[in-house]
Amino acid sequence: MRIAIAAVTGVLLAALASFGVVHLANASQSDPVIKPLYNYGSR
Amino acid sequence: MKGRTRHGVAALTGLVLGVLALGPGLAPGYLLSFDMVFVPDPSFTRMTFGLTGTVPRHVPSDAFVTALGAVLPGGLAQKAVLLAIFVMACAGAASLVPARRLAPRLAAGVLYAWNPFVAERLLLGHWAFLLGYAALPWVVAASAGVVERHGARRLGRALVPAAIGGFAAMAVSGLAALAVAGWSAGRHERGEGPARGGGRWRAVAWAAGTLALFSLPWLVTGWLRPSGMPGDPGAVDAFAARADTPFGTLGSLLLLGGVWNAEAVPTGYGVPLLAVCSLVVVVASLVMYARAVRTPWARGLAVAAGTGFVLAAFGAYAAPLLKGMIDAWSGFAVLRDGQQYTAPLAVVVAVGFGVLADRLMSAAGAALGVLALVVPVVLLPSLAWGAAGRLEPVQYPAGWARAREVIRADRVAGDVVALPWATYRSYPWNHRRTSLDALPRYLGRRVVTSDAVVIGAATIPAEDPKARRLDAVIKSAGPLTGPLAAAGVRYAAFDAETDPGNPAMARLAGAERVVDGPDLVLYRIPDPVAGPDQAAPAVPAALAWAVWIGLISWCFLPSRTTLATRTSPRLP
Repeated sequence: MRIAIAAVTGVLLAALASFGVVHLANASQSDPVIKPLYNYGSR
Repeated sequence: MKGRTRHGVAALTGLVLGVLALGPGLAPGYLLSFDMVFVPDPSFTRMTFGLTGTVPRHVPSDAFVTALGAVLPGGLAQKAVLLAIFVMACAGAASLVPARRLAPRLAAGVLYAWNPFVAERLLLGHWAFLLGYAALPWVVAASAGVVERHGARRLGRALVPAAIGGFAAMAVSGLAALAVAGWSAGRHERGEGPARGGGRWRAVAWAAGTLALFSLPWLVTGWLRPSGMPGDPGAVDAFAARADTPFGTLGSLLLLGGVWNAEAVPTGYGVPLLAVCSLVVVVASLVMYARAVRTPWARGLAVAAGTGFVLAAFGAYAAPLLKGMIDAWSGFAVLRDGQQYTAPLAVVVAVGFGVLADRLMSAAGAALGVLALVVPVVLLPSLAWGAAGRLEPVQYPAGWARAREVIRADRVAGDVVALPWATYRSYPWNHRRTSLDALPRYLGRRVVTSDAVVIGAATIPAEDPKARRLDAVIKSAGPLTGPLAAAGVRYAAFDAETDPGNPAMARLAGAERVVDGPDLVLYRIPDPVAGPDQAAPAVPAALAWAVWIGLISWCFLPSRTTLATRTSPRLP
């Protein structure tokens, strides 16, 4: 039972990690945005 | 495992997390991100101590890094401070978990050091505030025993990082310290714990007194500032918490995110799948905390977390009320950037997560404990490797060093005006990333910048009296040389828009162009008239510093220099 729980959790974490990395890679490929030069930030 | 070894392993885990988070940011150079500006060879100036009339938000953190910079040159001071944040956060949170096993403690430490709160504040450059955040678990433990023998000293030691961090760090630490001190003492009064020598109000008074004394450097210069403490109600909307997950502002705050600045959100954060998983982890941790944590500080910390959560949401959901409060008393402006008050909630979630991991290990084996260690990292992968490349060290251009040499060699007194007339920059040599203008810390002289802050379409007015005086002159189209000299300005430095065609340069007729480079152009203005700042008097400020340094020394002198408090959870 413990092995099964650990295996399921491991697979879940691996899937989440893969998803996170892929999403991160996609996000970093987005077009650059021209932003105001002197702003503190935006909401 | 013995106590010291436990702390050591947790600290080492924090160091690994810090290295993983900063990644390429640890290379030689300086990380410039929003409010985080470190410079080579920093020097002590009147600004360092809050004696130029600006609001002393950088006191005493600037003095600390200036002193540290003398020992650790070349950007090492910055790396040391940032790594220390991860080490302290992990070790502190791990020490609070009432569990025998090491893995659940480490899981709590990992979650506390690796979460959206840390990521967003790090990207926003709030390293001084994060110092206080990192030591918050120790403050919580020490506050529960503040009326015990040496309790105030222990609280003082725990407060040192927040005291160095300054105003914002002390505000959040104060919230937690007062709630825990008051509630823990009340608990003992009701006979729910071992009897002690003080009541609720005595504990609160001791905690408040300690907090006030540790706040003296910025408290004195802020109070004695001739132009008072500014508080623009218009900034409430700009700094209110915002949604960065699909769960709205409240849900985002619950997940320890929700910072006001959309540009400080980690890359890819808030996607539905990871957000749902994060929500499950946070809710399960909170439930476990409520059901299983029965330490002396548990209820006080819960009160602090609940209060902090309400304060965090205040600006977003009750903006008119907060604006009215700031109109009535500008001190309420501390509630504008409310998201920072979710720090005590982060402690609660981390401890609950540690207890949850401990229970899961009991039920399903040690493997789950190991997996719990990586859950926070898996749920926020974009904090890794310099926040996915957003923290990248740079070197200051050669033109900056030349300008500093020229200014240091000049015996004529006078200020420097930084142009273009704006607070923040997107330097091309910093990959166009937003950062505070670095000239005030770099040049070693009083640098007047427009400290008006632009957020989207909103502008928060300047706070520096000298900047307000110069505002109309600089924004006009007329000549600059004469008015700047009359205001006590010796140099005008352009660290952006350095193209010779910049019309502002044509307004400096009569000034000598002493540095001319692609990254910085410096004009020397002849015959500046002495123009002292409207600042807090130096003598009370020096006394405040003397008391502050003496107090910190006193906290460390009588006993071993350790932050492992007697109120840390005792194991059966």
